[in-house]
Amino acid sequence: MSFGRQFVALLAMSLSGFAQRIGSVLTIVIGVTCAVAVLVSMLSMGTGARREALGNARDDRVVFTSLGAQGIGSSIPRDEADTVLNLPGIKKGSDGKPLVVFTAVMLIEAHRRLTDRRVFFPLVGLTGAFTTEFDPKFHLTEGRMFHPGLFELIASNPCVRQYTGFELGARRSIHATDWTVVGYFGQGDTQQCVVVTDAETLMSTFGSNRYTRAAAMLQSLGDYDALRRALEANPTLHLEVRHERESIENDFKGLNALLDFAAYFVGSIMAIGATLGAVNSLYSIVDSRRREIATLRAIGFDSAAIVASILFESILLALPGALLGVLLAWALFHRMSVSPFGFSFRLDVSLTLAAVGIAWALAMGLIGGILPALRAARVPVTTALRAG
Amino acid sequence: MKFLPLIWSGIWRKPGRTILIFLQVSVAFALFGVLQGLKTGVEHAVAAARADLLLVHARQTFLFSPLPLGLLEEIRSVPGVKVAIPVELTGATYQKPTEGIGIVAVSPEDDWPSAFTYTIAPEYLAAFRKSRTAMLIRDTVTEKYGWKIGDHIPLIMTTTPLKNGSTNWAFDVVGTFTDSDVGVGRARFVLINFPYFDEARAAGKGTVNHFNVAVSDPKLAVTVSDAIDRRFANSSHETKTESLRELAQANVQRIGDFDFLLRAVVGAVLVALLFATTTMMIQSTRERTPELAVVKTLGFTDRAVFLLILAEALVIFLGGAALGLALATLTLPIAAKFVLGLSMPGVVVVIGLVSGMLIALVSAAVPAALAARLRVATALAGHGAA
Repeated sequence: MSFGRQFVALLAMSLSGFAQRIGSVLTIVIGVTCAVAVLVSMLSMGTGARREALGNARDDRVVFTSLGAQGIGSSIPRDEADTVLNLPGIKKGSDGKPLVVFTAVMLIEAHRRLTDRRVFFPLVGLTGAFTTEFDPKFHLTEGRMFHPGLFELIASNPCVRQYTGFELGARRSIHATDWTVVGYFGQGDTQQCVVVTDAETLMSTFGSNRYTRAAAMLQSLGDYDALRRALEANPTLHLEVRHERESIENDFKGLNALLDFAAYFVGSIMAIGATLGAVNSLYSIVDSRRREIATLRAIGFDSAAIVASILFESILLALPGALLGVLLAWALFHRMSVSPFGFSFRLDVSLTLAAVGIAWALAMGLIGGILPALRAARVPVTTALRAG
Repeated sequence: MKFLPLIWSGIWRKPGRTILIFLQVSVAFALFGVLQGLKTGVEHAVAAARADLLLVHARQTFLFSPLPLGLLEEIRSVPGVKVAIPVELTGATYQKPTEGIGIVAVSPEDDWPSAFTYTIAPEYLAAFRKSRTAMLIRDTVTEKYGWKIGDHIPLIMTTTPLKNGSTNWAFDVVGTFTDSDVGVGRARFVLINFPYFDEARAAGKGTVNHFNVAVSDPKLAVTVSDAIDRRFANSSHETKTESLRELAQANVQRIGDFDFLLRAVVGAVLVALLFATTTMMIQSTRERTPELAVVKTLGFTDRAVFLLILAEALVIFLGGAALGLALATLTLPIAAKFVLGLSMPGVVVVIGLVSGMLIALVSAAVPAALAARLRVATALAGHGAA
């Protein structure tokens, strides 16, 4: 009999026995389900955070920060700002001015609607060049744009949903000055509350003479190197430039490392547990079939076919666990809003994560099946047949 | 006691299976220990943070927002304030742009360390006051860069240039210190003289990031905080005064959204474990039917057989849980790199062992009952329990 036919026959025998061994079968399925559900839901934090952070990133935008600085620790003095405008490779707008936007960022306190808990949102002051030419995804959804110099704010849509005091026309006292909310804006699919005003008003309110960072549009993707070289060649500039995507990843390095570490740490431990459970269950499944297996070996079944069929059975048992686990993670956590460390995003159980979960489960099945499969192949024919 | 050998031999009847269950229990409780240790450790860290040490910073804004140095006299005049010290924060890099070091500039006035969580030897304190360019380095900095007392260290501060426009500063190491505040973790930072720093920098003169305040009586902390904030209410520099403990609490609340996820994970771990061990034990009891029947024939009561099976489960689970929790205690220092203030308080170990016992009892209950109900005649005749 060929290997293939032996394999199919063995598998059919295994499958027909599932009903009798429902306990062992369920142990494997439930163990794998829990392990995959936990891994996938924890990974969905990282995926969600990245999606939120990188959602509006563009390949043709670059970000300038002060050397070695992360996040709002960056600081660009005005005199350096003027030099940045004249760097090569930067696209000009329809009015002929370089498309460079300087931002000043202040973290300002707000209170959550439900819990009244104190949180901080970024109040971002932008220089005049900020137009739809610069960010096509930016659009007003209600109210109007702020007028520079009048202490007016526009807030991203999540603000009013999450925090108090962001109704249209609401007045907020910031640094002993009254500011008015005059509009709402949308910017892609973002969960983050961002409030925007003009840079000059914000900086003069806080008596600051420095921007936090700058962003610029490239003429073309190829101009990045020239821009970078010009920046590095200029000794008066203490700045570094990065692609927008890279700059965001740099800011989120810490959070991402934490989330990924937590997910794979917990996920691996759960997987080890589930694999141990699978080994135990498969051992008992194999043990209960000692006589059948010995009989088959006696009539000439190949050891390799026996090993292959048990490995396959193990993987077959892990698969429903994988699907259930992904489904469970999706049902419980997909699109759930969280805001750890003051950064709001939605958990995202993506197709990639489903694939990771399934691959993880297959690995558990394969590894868990090896020892029991080898044991089955080594069943001593004579003793097994004589026993029981 | 005389039953111990019997329990022991029952456990090792199938060594492979027992070891696998044992490992499974260990793994589950290692995870349980780490996750609970995370939660409880953070709570302990908050409780350990000092409630009598206050930070006066600009209201409404978070970090990097300056307060005028002039507020100092007013803060000092608030009853209950023992010491108030201006603190300016900035960042520097050493040799490479990637080697960041925090700079904390303080005024070394009389008794200034009482408003901080630092431990500094008296001779280093004296040396720090004497020289304007003196620098005290935290033990974490010593470990990383190996600077020694007497070293002249160049630091680059891109965000804080000197009056001549240069960003190249230099300080002399005069001593080391340790920081007992759990909130700062392993952060690398150094202390420098604020008066010198303020005079030498090109911009931002006369402003500070916050004031550290020590109160004369810990019980007054809340009263003093309110009194300080009232003084500056409705001015152009409103303040918010918080104790180190309140700041720690706020930090913990920011990760609070993960509580639900954490509980779901712990729940999933325990459910999977419970299910796996229950089926394994039912399986094992079924295989041992003839042996149990013999034990009963020898005069063991149903109750004794029931307890025998429970005892076996308890031994495996307690051993597994203990190993798992020990592993978790060893792992926590690694995880502490990512999450500050992790520790394994005794209470987690106790909760772990108790839940281990509970799971043992629950998962062994069914097989133990099956074993107890075994009828000797039928069992010996080769008919199983179920």
